[in-house]
Amino acid sequence: MRILLAEDEKELSKALVAILKHNHYSVDAVYDGQEALDYGLLENYDVIILDIMMPKLSGLEVLDKFRKSGIATPVLLLTAKTEVEDRITGLDLGADDYLGKPFAMGELLARVRAMTRRQSEFTPNLMETGNVRLDKSSFELSTEKASFRLGNKEFQMMEMLMGNQKRLISTEQFMERIWGNEAEAEINVVWVYISYLRKKLAALEADVEIKVVRGVGYTLEERI
Amino acid sequence: MSEFTYNTRSIDLTPEGEFYKESLVLLEGALIELTSRLDIFRKYRAMTHDRDPIEHYKFRVKSAGSMKEKLKRRGLPVTSDSALTKIYDAAGIRVISTFIDDVYAIADMLKQQSDLVVVEEKDYIRNPKPNGYRSYHLIVEVPMHLMDSISKVYCEIQIRTIAMDCWASLEHQLKYKQNIVNQELIVEELKRCADEIASTDLNMQTIRDMIMEQE
Repeated sequence: MRILLAEDEKELSKALVAILKHNHYSVDAVYDGQEALDYGLLENYDVIILDIMMPKLSGLEVLDKFRKSGIATPVLLLTAKTEVEDRITGLDLGADDYLGKPFAMGELLARVRAMTRRQSEFTPNLMETGNVRLDKSSFELSTEKASFRLGNKEFQMMEMLMGNQKRLISTEQFMERIWGNEAEAEINVVWVYISYLRKKLAALEADVEIKVVRGVGYTLEERI
Repeated sequence: MSEFTYNTRSIDLTPEGEFYKESLVLLEGALIELTSRLDIFRKYRAMTHDRDPIEHYKFRVKSAGSMKEKLKRRGLPVTSDSALTKIYDAAGIRVISTFIDDVYAIADMLKQQSDLVVVEEKDYIRNPKPNGYRSYHLIVEVPMHLMDSISKVYCEIQIRTIAMDCWASLEHQLKYKQNIVNQELIVEELKRCADEIASTDLNMQTIRDMIMEQE
């Protein structure tokens, strides 16, 4: 899942990025309203977190422009505790939720989870395919006999594969959903991660495997 | 780890010499046998593949204290004879490798040696213990040639990756402390680490395979 984080206080931004990444989200961090607008219009995010007080454009202005451009991505506003007016305006402009600063990280994470639940593609906490289980709360990939803890991007990839079983997912789709804006990410990284997952599924003696259709994409299939 | 002494008087004076008596020579002999085979394997592999599959190995004859305790626990007579025939790890070797593939290469090498008899093998890498423990265990019978007979000596060989060894050392500490605060939390976190390590071990194997492909 990809998050756009627009927060001009660099220390807070760093801390939020670390925690979100630790919870297996991909994060793009921007530090002013103009950047937030540019990124938000250009890329597909699952959640956008906007601080209200930002240089160049305020969070409210950015939100307004998003909604007017037809961007329906869930938005969480970070507001100063005293500015009730901002919250009212923000919600009316189309924000889905707000969180007053200072806030507890746990609450931020819970609100992000709540926002992504409302999306049309509902993915449950526990995903099962064949004898393989993917636990979203512990990021464990397991079968009866053994389990692995997956890294951030590996987990996202497995989640996509398990959640889209009748479909082929292309390299480009993986890149967009998981690696997004990372400038250094090469297209070959998708293949490396597929290899990682293949080795794990084999080690688990899974009855499913990742199949590749050249030039089209990858899918999870029953192992023959 | 241990130095082999050939001065019999000094052997008598150690607790191990006292307990195992002449069998100590056989046990140390079995360790010499197996470790020299490991050395040859390493050198040969290093020459042909440019890489040593073994990071390091350790070996030991089980201390008299530990052996007596184990025999007592199992309700067996506390004698040297019991130790050598009923217990399999009087002689023990632990081999640490860099990659998972190396673990199996070493195991296969040992299993194929025509004069060694495989008594037991337990693959805890494919079937980890519930607490997360992963390693490959092999118990072999080594034929020790004496003047007019052959004595079969058991040896337990544990083969694991560096990361697995790191984890096992930490987990081992849990066994020797009583009343640890947050015991449940620690056990849970250790399991999590074990699973993360296992995941990383496989990823590194993938990366290594990628590098090798290029050659």
